[in-house]
Amino acid sequence: MTQVVIASKGIEKHYQMGEQQVKALKGINVAIYQGDFVAVMGPSGSGKSTFMNMLGCLDSPSAGNITLKGTDVTHLKAAELAEIRNRYIGFVFQQFNLLPRTTALDNVMLPLLYTNIGRAEAIKRASECLTLVGLGSRMDHHPSQLSGGQQQRVAIARALVNKPAIILADEPTGALDTETGLEIMALFQQLHKQGTTLVLVTHEPDIAAFASRQLVFRDGLLLSDRNSEPEDAGNALQHFRQTRLAEALT
Amino acid sequence: MNFLMLISVAWVALKVNLLRSILTMLGIIIGVAAVIIMLALGSGARYEVDQQIKSLGGNVFIISSRLRFMGGAQQASGGQSLTEMDALAIESQIPQVTVAAPTVQSSGQVIYGNMNWAPSILGVDNKIYQAQSWSIAEGRTFSDSELSSAGRVAVIGQTVKHELFGASDALGQTIRINKIPVTIIGVLNGKGQNTQGNDQDDLVFMPIDTVRKRISGITLSSPKAVRSIIVQVADERDMGLVEQEMDALLRQRLRTTANDQPFRIRNLSEMVETRAQTMQIFNGLLAAVASVSLLVGGIGIMNIMLVSVTERTREIGLRMAVGAKPADIMRQFLIEAVLLCALGGALGLSLAVAVTWSVEHFLRYTAIIQPEVVLMSIGFSALIGVFFGYYPAKKAAQLQPIEALRYE
Repeated sequence: MTQVVIASKGIEKHYQMGEQQVKALKGINVAIYQGDFVAVMGPSGSGKSTFMNMLGCLDSPSAGNITLKGTDVTHLKAAELAEIRNRYIGFVFQQFNLLPRTTALDNVMLPLLYTNIGRAEAIKRASECLTLVGLGSRMDHHPSQLSGGQQQRVAIARALVNKPAIILADEPTGALDTETGLEIMALFQQLHKQGTTLVLVTHEPDIAAFASRQLVFRDGLLLSDRNSEPEDAGNALQHFRQTRLAEALT
Repeated sequence: MNFLMLISVAWVALKVNLLRSILTMLGIIIGVAAVIIMLALGSGARYEVDQQIKSLGGNVFIISSRLRFMGGAQQASGGQSLTEMDALAIESQIPQVTVAAPTVQSSGQVIYGNMNWAPSILGVDNKIYQAQSWSIAEGRTFSDSELSSAGRVAVIGQTVKHELFGASDALGQTIRINKIPVTIIGVLNGKGQNTQGNDQDDLVFMPIDTVRKRISGITLSSPKAVRSIIVQVADERDMGLVEQEMDALLRQRLRTTANDQPFRIRNLSEMVETRAQTMQIFNGLLAAVASVSLLVGGIGIMNIMLVSVTERTREIGLRMAVGAKPADIMRQFLIEAVLLCALGGALGLSLAVAVTWSVEHFLRYTAIIQPEVVLMSIGFSALIGVFFGYYPAKKAAQLQPIEALRYE
């Protein structure tokens, strides 16, 4: 039996919109296991992003609870949640959210600033992560000197640098063209093969197909939860390039 | 995150917006510089006053006859006037008095060759040197026979010597004072300007009888009448007592009632002190105005920190997402504000040092920067950083991570 990394039990999220109370989540029970590659799908407004924020300990549920590695994290204070995020969770965002005018290396080191890890060790770890995502030669570049795909790789390296229990990616390919998106997905699959637990939010079924488990949300409810044989992003990338070449030649 | 790293993170943030940081700092720079300069000028003025009191001696009275001097003509009011005998009486009957020097004032044209000059002319005896701390630079003081026979001799101040003789020798030269030929027998050491900017060296001493009989040429109520008596007291602590005793003695001698005031007793250092206090109040006011500009500078810091927090909302969200606690965010922005203020304070101090230096060298004012003022202003500006940086930092720390991340 594989270990549960994060589990949500009956979580709800209510927002007060003037007079009306909006329920963004209406009782979600999900367990994410060690080594999972989960795609969270659903149209906008379905509650998938809210669910993601709960998993990432960025927000607390109105009802229900969340356990991370067996610990209930539902009612922790802001500072305690920050520590949990720092230790167990790596984030990848649609808009990369890198610090401008700051080198790739310093960006990757950012989470380590909030730990006790010394600078020398932090530099060592950050360079390892950058090398892992294929940017070993661009460590001193600023975000403005990097392409979108490269910036997202820096962000992924930043998510990896704390050796988190889980990586949460919110529409990681949303701001990228198809080819670069496929490259990023191939990188995620590679990380998954190396044992990383991944959850990614997407509304594109093509992207969700690269994950091994799909959760579909609609109107604040979990519509389906199924495992599937993932498509290979490397193959898809190759196929995409061949098709494009063929189109160019005809 | 250790302290050095916090500083370097803040430094990088300030450097990214270099122009903005400098402009923001300018408020603090000007405020700190203004406060330090005002306080330095105040200390300088205080120092000057102390020096002057020291040179006057805190132990000197001037008793003046209430005689009116009109166009050089001396008219007795009520007939009573102080005389040389009063001076002698004060000196001999009040034991705390070391010396009481009688003086008569006049004015007139002093001519040497084709040069002429109008200094104040004082009729004195040799007690004046002790009473007013004068000393002879060259030559000698009056001899007894010169004093008793209204000798045509003079001791001149540095300014008079400079104006009439320039660099050449004045001793033994004959000048004409109100057409009377007078031989210069001595030159005084200079005293320079007093705090009011009056030249204290622009004077001529002559024997008291010479001035009475030959220079002013007026018939006085008494042949030994004097304009004023300069009294030196041995111990400053006896000033109050001596003043009372002199008042009583002179009233008795002049046979005056309590209502009649034929003379006036003034304590010179008290006068200087009073003026100094007015000046001090004025200086304090200026420093207060200057600290208002420091306050305005602080508000500028707050303003820019608020802008900075808003601008960097996403950065704050990201930092929180990757593990920054509210306290970390708070510290980051607080240190930025304090760094901004402390740098401003240091630059303001340098500016103040430069300005006081120029004021001292080009305007010849005394300005003294007290070490505690330096510490105080730097400390105070850092405090302003904490005070005005607190609210924006608090605002940053209270941001919700998801909302901050989503902020456009």
